[in-house]
Amino acid sequence: MRAPWPILEAALGKAVTGDPQLLRAYDHDLGEMPRALLSRLRTRPDAVVVARSPADVVSTLQVAARLGVPVTPRGQGSSGYGGSMPTRAGILLDLSALTKVLAVDEAAATVDVEPGVVWNELSRTLRKRGLDVRTLPTSAPSSTVGGWFASGGVGIGSLRYGSIRDAVLEIDVAGLDGRVATVVGQDLDLHHQTAGILGVITRLRLACRPAEEPRSFAVRLPEAEAVPALQAAAERDLGAYSLSIQSAGYLAMRARLDRGAGPPIAAGFLGLLTVSSPGDPAAVERAVAACGGALLDDSVAAHEWEDRFYPMRVKRLGPSLLVSEFLLPTERFPETWRAISRALRREELGLEAFAARGGRMAVLVYALEDAGHWLYPVRMARALAPVRIALRRGGSVYTPGLWFAWGARSVLGEARYEAVVAEKRRVDPAGLLNPDKVLGPRLRGLPLVDASRLLALSAAFASPLSRWLAPRPVR
Amino acid sequence: MADAAALIDATLPDLSYALDTCARCGFCKVVCPTHPFGGGFEAYSPRAKVHYLKELREGREELTPEWVDRIYQCTSCERCAEVCQTDIPLVHVWEAARSAAVKLGLGPMPAHKKLRVLTEQFHNPYGEPIEARERWMQPHHRPSARAELLVFAGCTAAYRMPPMLQTGVTILQRQDIPYAYAGGREVCCASPFLRTGQVEMATALVTSNIDLFHELGVKRIVTACGGCSKTLRFDYPELARTTGRSWDFEVLHFSQVYGQLLREGAIRPGRRVDKVVTYHDPCHLGRSQGIYDEPRSILRSIPGLRLLEMEHHREESRCCGAGGGVKANYPEMAAAIARDRVQEAVATGAEVLVTMCPFCQASFAQALKELGSSMRLAGVEELLLESLE
Repeated sequence: MRAPWPILEAALGKAVTGDPQLLRAYDHDLGEMPRALLSRLRTRPDAVVVARSPADVVSTLQVAARLGVPVTPRGQGSSGYGGSMPTRAGILLDLSALTKVLAVDEAAATVDVEPGVVWNELSRTLRKRGLDVRTLPTSAPSSTVGGWFASGGVGIGSLRYGSIRDAVLEIDVAGLDGRVATVVGQDLDLHHQTAGILGVITRLRLACRPAEEPRSFAVRLPEAEAVPALQAAAERDLGAYSLSIQSAGYLAMRARLDRGAGPPIAAGFLGLLTVSSPGDPAAVERAVAACGGALLDDSVAAHEWEDRFYPMRVKRLGPSLLVSEFLLPTERFPETWRAISRALRREELGLEAFAARGGRMAVLVYALEDAGHWLYPVRMARALAPVRIALRRGGSVYTPGLWFAWGARSVLGEARYEAVVAEKRRVDPAGLLNPDKVLGPRLRGLPLVDASRLLALSAAFASPLSRWLAPRPVR
Repeated sequence: MADAAALIDATLPDLSYALDTCARCGFCKVVCPTHPFGGGFEAYSPRAKVHYLKELREGREELTPEWVDRIYQCTSCERCAEVCQTDIPLVHVWEAARSAAVKLGLGPMPAHKKLRVLTEQFHNPYGEPIEARERWMQPHHRPSARAELLVFAGCTAAYRMPPMLQTGVTILQRQDIPYAYAGGREVCCASPFLRTGQVEMATALVTSNIDLFHELGVKRIVTACGGCSKTLRFDYPELARTTGRSWDFEVLHFSQVYGQLLREGAIRPGRRVDKVVTYHDPCHLGRSQGIYDEPRSILRSIPGLRLLEMEHHREESRCCGAGGGVKANYPEMAAAIARDRVQEAVATGAEVLVTMCPFCQASFAQALKELGSSMRLAGVEELLLESLE
């Protein structure tokens, strides 16, 4: 099927399609948003380019600039923030086929990759060379290196190594003018978490760590107050690689899937603390005991580590899952969790959190849902309640993308936000590069209200009602 | 297209809920062996196919020949289902969707129709004469008229790749294990038709074989083929139930028979086989049936033999490209997938690629030839027999 613009097809050949059947697969991402909201946006692209080389990226951008049409870059679309979803049709630039590992420098412990390299595959490749990635998302079996940098975040390994931003040393960015610029140092902040609104990443250089065997410990934590204490000890005293937390409610959901099997945690939290093998079990036991916790059997730890990339298994109970995600100073975790539990006390909640270097954590709150239910557009509003609670306690939105553009200042910070705005004016005054993301969209027919603010506003109004309308928990 | 929506809903009664649970994470897309052959476009991924079927069910999409073609571009390797976050039985979904497409006259694919025509006439999809179904047998093979154990040859082993079957039967005979063989009365196991949505044809074949099993009075059925054993183990009991037949047969793959003989000490590999081998887990033996350890324990029991694992093995094993009707209708895709797998085998440094499925073996034979590789191909049982000589 021909693409709508002959010059695009002339430049990209078989890498481009305008076939409506193929285009439909790109009009959504991981998030299940109400149709009424999506109908205000043009989420289906006019053409898709599957880039096979950085040259394809450059060609696509040059054609887009010449035609004056929007370009939406996309990795695997494995995030639910709308950052890789078109809002004004145009060209969708699929980067998932750019999967080359370009160079491994063992002496410097760095790797150069194309943006579509999948985290797990990169880890596998590096381990053969005695290296490994520093940190990786729980979506590592499918999410891409470029995608995670462009959306930002913390994950497995962040306790020792920080966020994805800390692991990226250098990137190449292609602009609408067809030039590819190498970006290093502070300027990387312009491209981190900004969803490609300033250019499309064609190469990343990552700092690596030595490959090592992990040793995981499963910990029972009696109450939320134990979480900050354990994180501090894990970072300060144990030099731990990773720490994740799951609430008893989340474990109960998982147990229902596994016919009652699962870690024996009736209340409180399960911690999974991972250090470099062999670790010091006695030191870990002391640190855990000092937090009022207790070590569980090694088999629990092994199972949890094995299962680390499968947080969404519980969706089977839904069949949908509302996910609220935010960043939080870990010391505020106990009061935040209590407030969330109070606000959403009528329903079954699950929590998973990942500790990050410097006393911060990424928190995910899960609630079961049915996106096919006619009340879903109202009920889903309660997904914003945990985020608002966290914001009042020093937290921030996880990443702006499309739907949380209203929180971009809290994510980026005032100075970085202003720098991004200035750079956007400089490199893309027409707003062609991933329009409406991060800096806020404008809706057709509603010029003064953008989609993310409309969503936030609606959610604020609908939130009390949505809590009453939430599905009843299964006991 | 209300008909298509209703039919999809009716064909997927147990799977409809599972479709709603798709997390859209894309784990399936990354491991799918056929997705890259769609130009890298998302619509060729399992994730997109699930989304499409949901939309079709809701009446928001149309069942088009192009979408049917994409749904047939799947080897049924089960890698997608293996990595699925929400455990959607994705291969069942594809098979149900194919079945719906057949009912609507949009499936199967042209090559699959030919398989049906040939099987209607010759009882095998290769179009080989019925009477030739026994030709694989060697002069010393002496099946019993009545035995508890029935050897189910399967079409590929009987007509195209007989060494695994010949070796298996030779080992049975050496152990004085009585076995029956139905020769030309055995018909195709129906796997090619179940995988391609031709349920009516499949039911006819399955009922014919079930009736034969009852008539022969057997209790256990053994086969050398991964596809046959998967079908006999999982599809036959279900189709027996829906056609009002009893099913009380135990289904075995030859690897399980050898494994048991080794455990019992009935066979003791003594002769050195100084070879470096790598083992390919057939999808329908490994992921479908969980048979990973038996082939490896057989190989490890052989003195002198050294097993090197490929990068992707056991649950992560890559496909040979042949299954799900792909080899018949998309031969170039199947050949490319087989070449990829063979190159992974070559990278281990092994001199022999071994497997336990004649269908995989046929794919690899072609791939080795195309690549001009000096790597040899063998069945696990052939090496076992060599060590028993």
